Amino acid sequence: MSDLGETRWVFPRWTNQLRVVVGVLLVVVPLYLVVLLGYGASPKTTDVGYAPEQPVPYSHALHVGQLGLDCRYCHTTVEQAAEAAVPPTQTCMNCHARVRAASPKLLSVRESYATGLPIPWVRVHDLPDYVYFDHSAHVRRGVGCVSCHGRVDTMEVVRQVEPLSMGWCLDCHRNPEPHLRPPELATSMDWVPPEDPEVYGKRLRQQLGIRPSTECWTCHR
Amino acid sequence: MPKALTYTLVILAALALIPLALIARARVTTSSVPRLHLIGDMDTQPYLKAQAANPLFADGRAMRMPVPGTVARGSLMEPEVATGRDGNGWLEVIPVPLTRELMARGRERYDIFCAPCHGYSGYGDGVVNRRAERLQEGTWTPVASFHTETARSRPAGYIYNAITHGVRTMPPYGGQIPVLDRWAIVAYVKALQRSQHASLADVPPEVRMELQARMQGHDGTR
Repeated sequence: MSDLGETRWVFPRWTNQLRVVVGVLLVVVPLYLVVLLGYGASPKTTDVGYAPEQPVPYSHALHVGQLGLDCRYCHTTVEQAAEAAVPPTQTCMNCHARVRAASPKLLSVRESYATGLPIPWVRVHDLPDYVYFDHSAHVRRGVGCVSCHGRVDTMEVVRQVEPLSMGWCLDCHRNPEPHLRPPELATSMDWVPPEDPEVYGKRLRQQLGIRPSTECWTCHR
Repeated sequence: MPKALTYTLVILAALALIPLALIARARVTTSSVPRLHLIGDMDTQPYLKAQAANPLFADGRAMRMPVPGTVARGSLMEPEVATGRDGNGWLEVIPVPLTRELMARGRERYDIFCAPCHGYSGYGDGVVNRRAERLQEGTWTPVASFHTETARSRPAGYIYNAITHGVRTMPPYGGQIPVLDRWAIVAYVKALQRSQHASLADVPPEVRMELQARMQGHDGTR
């Protein structure tokens, strides 16, 4: 007891440095947390790159990229409806009743065709439930499939390539010009504007009378 | 400062980089795991979107099939238009007004739905047909050309019915192509057939002279 003396209750000299350390940490730690949250919870981190495993190893790279099928051969509703419907099993069987008819990869397709039960395809692009989105409104006004879905014709497994966040939607609603094309070429995967996209888009925008709304109720109704 | 404290701070600083590195990696790789939303808000609400699953029904579909024998509102039409035949058999004439727009629509729809097998010009040389032959599929029946005598003699109603219900090994396309689009395709197929069997007499007189001159320039052969 006595050899410790009064010094036992006195802060050692090095604690002076601790003040500086604590001061720095008070600034750095909140900053770090903000960066971590902003970077980590951004839709570019949480949503982009989602590529669920599908019940059938269907390859868009083969069907669209190699064979050149139009998007609308399967997603028939995209020009009239809000949903770009996933095709019924009948559409697969149009060809696969006779082409690769015995392939083990197509087992669940044949099963679905025989039983009438749907194939449990996994939805890749899913907007929050409080968002109203209409495919037909975009496709018929000259926003190509590629603008939101990327080069699906090169994908063996479909993945989400754009964040589909509100900010991302608004970017285009405020400045649609670089994303416009003649509506009849909406499904073309490799279309490039014949001139500067801004100039071309501006003309197209005037021609087609494109006035995208940025009001809240446009998407939240 | 005690060494232990210094080391702890350095180690913590190094560890703090790991989440950042993981996030950077997540941004450039794909993942089959469903997305993680830190703040769920009302992203997922207890209502069912189109084509969603619903275990309440025996078939697991949230959407219901149309009741057999019923017609959806606004879809009622003349029986001739819907079936492609009247009391005397197949319609010879397309029962909807033929316009330039209908023809253009027919071409677009033909290129989407028919060209994969029938080919863009209707010779049965579509990309699916070629692939099936390359794969030597025993179950594949080569696609017939639209330009044979038999095919050219088919009435409009017959072609319409073939699109709607399929014919021989061709599957039905009624589910994929709405009625008006089917008639547009019929119009375009008829035009395709005509285009492949056109004679000089089909050419308007003012162009005929020019065409004749050109053909002579090529020794009269095509």
